Amino acid sequence: MEDYYQSFRVKLEGVSGECYRVATAAEGIELATHVLQSKGVKSVALAGFFLSEAGGLASKLAQAGITVHTENLRAAAPEADAGITIGRWAIAETGTIVQTATDVDERLCSTLPPLHLVLLSTDALVPTLAEALKRIHSSPEIPGFVGFITGPSRTSDIERVLTIGVHGPEQFIAVFVEGEVE
Amino acid sequence: MGKPEVKGKIKKALDNQVLRGALGKFGDTYIEARAKAYEGYDFEALRSKVAERKAYAASHLEEMLDRFEKAAAERGAKVYRAAGAEDAKRYIVEVAARNGVKNIVKSKSMASEEIHLNQALAAAGCDVQETDLGEWIIQLAHQRPSHMVLPAIHMTKEQVAEVFTDNLQRPNDPEIAALVKTARLELRKKFLQADMGISGANMAIAETGTLVMLTNEGNARLTSTLPRVHVFLVGLEKLIPNFEDALYVLQTLPRSATAQQLTSYVTMITGPTPAYYPDGSVQDKEFHIVIMDNGRRQMYADDKFKKSFQCIRCASCLNVCPIYQLVGGHVYGHIYTGGIGAILTAFLHSEEDAKDVQSLCLQCGKCAEVCPGQLDIPEMILEIRNRIGDKKKLPFTQKFALDVVSNRRLFHSLLRVASKAQKPLSQGHGFIRHLPLFLSGLTEQKSLPEIADVPFRDLFKNVKQEVPSPKGKIAFYAGCLIDFVYPRIGEAVIKTLNAKGYEVTFPEGQSCCGAPASYMGDRENARKSAVLNLEALHAEAVDYVVTACPTCTHALKDRFAELVAGDPVWAPRAAELSRKSRDFSQLLSELGSDPPEPKGKPGKRKVTYHDSCHLKRKAGVFLEPRQHMQNIEGLELVEMKESDSCCGFGGSYSIKFPELSAPILERKLKNIEASGAEVVAVDCPGCLMQIAGGLDKKGSKIIVKHTAELITDEALTENRKENDLRQNKC
Ligand code: SF4
Repeated sequence: MEDYYQSFRVKLEGVSGECYRVATAAEGIELATHVLQSKGVKSVALAGFFLSEAGGLASKLAQAGITVHTENLRAAAPEADAGITIGRWAIAETGTIVQTATDVDERLCSTLPPLHLVLLSTDALVPTLAEALKRIHSSPEIPGFVGFITGPSRTSDIERVLTIGVHGPEQFIAVFVEGEVE
Repeated sequence: MGKPEVKGKIKKALDNQVLRGALGKFGDTYIEARAKAYEGYDFEALRSKVAERKAYAASHLEEMLDRFEKAAAERGAKVYRAAGAEDAKRYIVEVAARNGVKNIVKSKSMASEEIHLNQALAAAGCDVQETDLGEWIIQLAHQRPSHMVLPAIHMTKEQVAEVFTDNLQRPNDPEIAALVKTARLELRKKFLQADMGISGANMAIAETGTLVMLTNEGNARLTSTLPRVHVFLVGLEKLIPNFEDALYVLQTLPRSATAQQLTSYVTMITGPTPAYYPDGSVQDKEFHIVIMDNGRRQMYADDKFKKSFQCIRCASCLNVCPIYQLVGGHVYGHIYTGGIGAILTAFLHSEEDAKDVQSLCLQCGKCAEVCPGQLDIPEMILEIRNRIGDKKKLPFTQKFALDVVSNRRLFHSLLRVASKAQKPLSQGHGFIRHLPLFLSGLTEQKSLPEIADVPFRDLFKNVKQEVPSPKGKIAFYAGCLIDFVYPRIGEAVIKTLNAKGYEVTFPEGQSCCGAPASYMGDRENARKSAVLNLEALHAEAVDYVVTACPTCTHALKDRFAELVAGDPVWAPRAAELSRKSRDFSQLLSELGSDPPEPKGKPGKRKVTYHDSCHLKRKAGVFLEPRQHMQNIEGLELVEMKESDSCCGFGGSYSIKFPELSAPILERKLKNIEASGAEVVAVDCPGCLMQIAGGLDKKGSKIIVKHTAELITDEALTENRKENDLRQNKC
């Protein structure tokens, strides 16, 4: 696991993403709140029951003075400073997180805000792209929407100059928690 | 051949400094970045997987389509098979109308550009927005994409700012980050109000009905998330058999296209997913997949073009193309640019449209070397060229020249006359200009080397071969350039092979290998040359047939067999010749690599090696000559940059497109000079002529020698004057 994580981190940082790891879910929530605060985030769009209720992330963010949207996300997500979702797998080979986001809210939170933070378990780490495909393939059915995310949105369409942040998030952060996230 | 038009476009592109700067910079960095992206991966193994899986899908097309349709339909997708452009457009326009669509956002789809879908939707009253940044710029500027992956690579930030300013009616500074931000804001509005999305896909997986998109900007994710109607338009060639086959394309496409490990996003869509409707409800979206033929099946049915289904549209064939690097995509005239563009254009548009474009190909083979789909693009282009030639007669002067070349007696006697006649006529104008050898009637300004006083075929009679007990017999095929211009190379070849214990014969009836005819699209004369030489060389009687010209080797090894395929008499003889033919450097290695006698030269002279396109990429020979260099005492091999980039000769190409050949040669000369070598070694008399001519014109002291000459050592003692060409201005 350690090797996978280190490889993942190096690859993700190589494409301008950020990567953290903590021991418990509570620490993960703490860290996420802290990171968002330090980036001046004032509002967050959250998708997923765990994140909003059970895990206590929503209340923690609210305590820190961040407005949390968990409903009516079609209207809220485009205005939010950050979106938070859960990652299903993480690929060590490429620094990629894989989301299975058939749920439209999850997609809104991960595509629209300028910052996207993904929480996931270190157990989600797989060594290779090939392994990730195998895992997806072995699901009872291929999820309606599978998103591979490797760093922030980027373009080189003008004079081939790399520019971060076009249509998708310009900041991408992965936070790993040992053990279960959900 | 419609040349004036294409010539005009070339001139415009070459005069465009901005374009040349952008493309030049790109070409330089791309090759290194790509190599780095593949570090630790076995490109050859990966690409054979891509090719095999795609070829499998193509050869089981009906089965793939049925599987895909069934799997996608089971998940709730509506699949429509469109035979042609009209069909596809009608279906999509109807979907829009039925769903009351007004605003459409598109993520990248080349298939939609191929059929002019935007125009059809606009005519039906829809607002259509491209959302890929490059595509959007092109749309606003009313231009055509000039590159398959980087559509606006021909524009500067200043030009982009101007386009934005015009369209958005407010000033935009030529600052890239700000321009990108503007695009985000403007297109974000469009995304949020869109009621339909249109996407292309990089793969359509038959097993699961899944569509896979690779993007960096995130527009495909938004297109798949926001609108309540989503239509995919995909070409038949996008099908792959099984879910996990996606791996091979995922491992090659980003690396080959943009030198990335993986694009920022890979999005896999299987069936409709929920979307927000205007009333705030969340329901599954209206989801359609249009699989389009539009000429693709016909392409597959054609044996020579089957492999086009293996193309993954990575555009690396453009990125490494020396011609594309000079002129960019607009010269190619259609939406699919570069070499693969010429091929696709011929089938998806028309042969007429591809006519000028295909003529731009230099046949250097760089693209085939990097193609992740294992397409032999140059061969396909040549086939198109020959088909056009079959149907349409070449212009009289070209045809006449090629007719002469394939008539050995006439050709050779003309060359002999030329050798006598050129002396008094060498200045200003003269006979040489009409020599069919170089098809020089096609051009006004070209310096050519002199025809040798005594051709090799005459010299040969006086060559003494002292081989007491020969190990075997080798027939030497000289080819025009060595026979009539550089007989000294022939002598060196014989000397070297004698030293290896082989006796060398020179079959008298041999003549031009037919390459000029092949490369100009004159199959009839190429075939005549093949038959003539098959007869003359009589490969059955010798152990090997050796040439010292890689283009000839390629003809003897591969081309003849193709030209006489199916012929009961000639096909077996061609197979025999193919088996026995070797290029000089290659044969020498095969015969044992013991170094020749040490020559005991004091000090070290630096030699650099130029890889001929045909030797490296057709014969796969590049280590052998370097080994020979290293075996020569007194020589030190130093590598030049881009040693395997074309020198720009390309046979008649340098005469037909001197404006393109010249800058390619210039780049080669720069790399040679930068290497610090005193000697350039080559294995091709064509490269020798081109490079020596270029160096001579520059007044450079660097000399150019064939490997065979270096081995026999004469080269090092010869002085510059006896050397290559006294340039004749014709
Ligand atoms: S022909 Fe090969 S190199 Fe060119 S775009 Fe297709 S896959 Fe890429």
